[in-house]
Amino acid sequence: MKTAHEIRPGNVIMLDGSPWVVQKTETTRSGRNAAIVKMKLKNVLQDSSTETTFKGEDKMDDIILDRLDCTYSYYADPMYVFMDSEYNQYDVEADNLGDAAAYICDGMEDICQVTFYEGKAISVELPTTIVREVIYTEPSARGDTSGKVMKPATITGGGTLSVADFVKTGDMIEIDTRTNEFKKRA
Amino acid sequence: MANNNTHNHWTHAHQTQEHWDIFCTVVDNYGDIGVTWRLAKQLAREYLIAVNLWVDDLNSFSHILPTLNPNQAIQHFDGVTIKLWDKPLSLQYHPGSVLIEAFACELPTEVIDKITQYHHSTALTAPLWLNLEYLSAEDWVDGCHALPSLQASGLKKYFYFPGFNEKTGGLICERDLFAERESWQSDPSNRDGLFQQLGLKGIGVADTVISIFSYETEALASLCQLWQSATTKVHALIPIGRSLNSLGSIITHPGQVSPGQQFTYGNLTIHILPMTDQLGFDRLLWSCDFNIVRGEDSFLRAQWAAKPFIWHIYPQEEDYHLIKLRAFMALYCHNLAPEIADSWQALNLAFNEASENDIKQYWQKLELANLPLMHHAQKWPIDALNDTDLASRLVQFVKNS
Repeated sequence: MKTAHEIRPGNVIMLDGSPWVVQKTETTRSGRNAAIVKMKLKNVLQDSSTETTFKGEDKMDDIILDRLDCTYSYYADPMYVFMDSEYNQYDVEADNLGDAAAYICDGMEDICQVTFYEGKAISVELPTTIVREVIYTEPSARGDTSGKVMKPATITGGGTLSVADFVKTGDMIEIDTRTNEFKKRA
Repeated sequence: MANNNTHNHWTHAHQTQEHWDIFCTVVDNYGDIGVTWRLAKQLAREYLIAVNLWVDDLNSFSHILPTLNPNQAIQHFDGVTIKLWDKPLSLQYHPGSVLIEAFACELPTEVIDKITQYHHSTALTAPLWLNLEYLSAEDWVDGCHALPSLQASGLKKYFYFPGFNEKTGGLICERDLFAERESWQSDPSNRDGLFQQLGLKGIGVADTVISIFSYETEALASLCQLWQSATTKVHALIPIGRSLNSLGSIITHPGQVSPGQQFTYGNLTIHILPMTDQLGFDRLLWSCDFNIVRGEDSFLRAQWAAKPFIWHIYPQEEDYHLIKLRAFMALYCHNLAPEIADSWQALNLAFNEASENDIKQYWQKLELANLPLMHHAQKWPIDALNDTDLASRLVQFVKNS
């Protein structure tokens, strides 16, 4: 069991007898420090998607399915192709990657976990922390070094996120893939 | 006890529609229960819905409903059946058409088991299950309001978010509230009568009267020091409770004061208020020149009072409450002249950040702009309500679901 707060894109959860791939998670705060987690889910069996909301402390079955360590190989629209250490290739639908797709880029060496349901690759989980290059961000406006002032940045692969004001174009940064948040300069 | 005529009217009303159940955990004495009690009364009065309000702390509840007997498991007031939520649940839960868990409280297992059983039955229908969430002006609320929460059992629960625009669940506001407020404020004798009833002495027509219902903050002591040397007389009306905890430097032994006492320092008089019910609190806010409020329920009532106010928001980890405060302030100040908006926002931030110097500076700055701020406060309730209140939208949501 995991709490909704601990669930991340790529996990597969069991709801009402069906496995659902978590495509996107977004955590916000309600009153009294309570977390609210909005998720985009895809039903593995019915090929349907839904948006749903949970309390951060809601418990859910995180199904342990077969998983393999893989690296990203190439994109063949609409499939992302991953490869294991024995050079076996697995196709994963772009749709199933959800938010993780923003961090997939050519040449990435991150070890990802490909999840299988009844022999079919259904999702990919990125490492908790990844390092990417900032390919564009506006120069610092205020010279802020506290890390509290944020600005948008585009990273390798085209994804965008908020980074601290002191980050510059060309910097390598650490990103928490569970929250899609900037952690620090690498 | 409830008025007999009223009771008969409600009894008749209860026979017309399947009942709703609202479960409320009392966390902060008056906030959660304040909101649910208002909602329950409004659903009963304006929509003739039979409502059971399940409350886990009748003692605290009795502070805002003084006629409530904390030792009685079932009672009826204003068309609402109030039921004791003890653990394990002594009273039997019979599913109605709607089940509301207020502010993400954990429903009793007996209730979850029963609605799960109904869900899996072919002959029975499980109630529409809602989590009534906290009020926030943040953008993300629009995208989360009314989304289902899929449960492992196959049941669906819907997150219902109050809010300030048409994409949200609206704001609690009784149908006749604004008319009642306008009627009250148009006749100064109402204010005088209320102050007399509360035992407040020495308040002149030209004096500034400020109600204070905050959490602890050093900013309050700073304001009181400032008011002592104000050019006009200032009366601070403070109920027994958390605000007084911050006034140790001004009142000796603030924990030992009692309602009716008053303390004068220069041009400031602090009046200790007795606890009041919700109608009494509304009237108090309507009667003051400025209100300092906290949490969610009194925050909204201060807006409906059409008077300038400071919102002392419930503190959250990592100062997240300041994000919520800023989101509201941006909305509130949308049509306000920039220089007044800046001062009002800075004043609210200073109070919430307990900034003793800033609070004095911005209070003095804002006083100059009091009239435009007053006009804005009078217009704001209409803008905020967006045509429909929370109970109306909630009833419509249930109909459409």
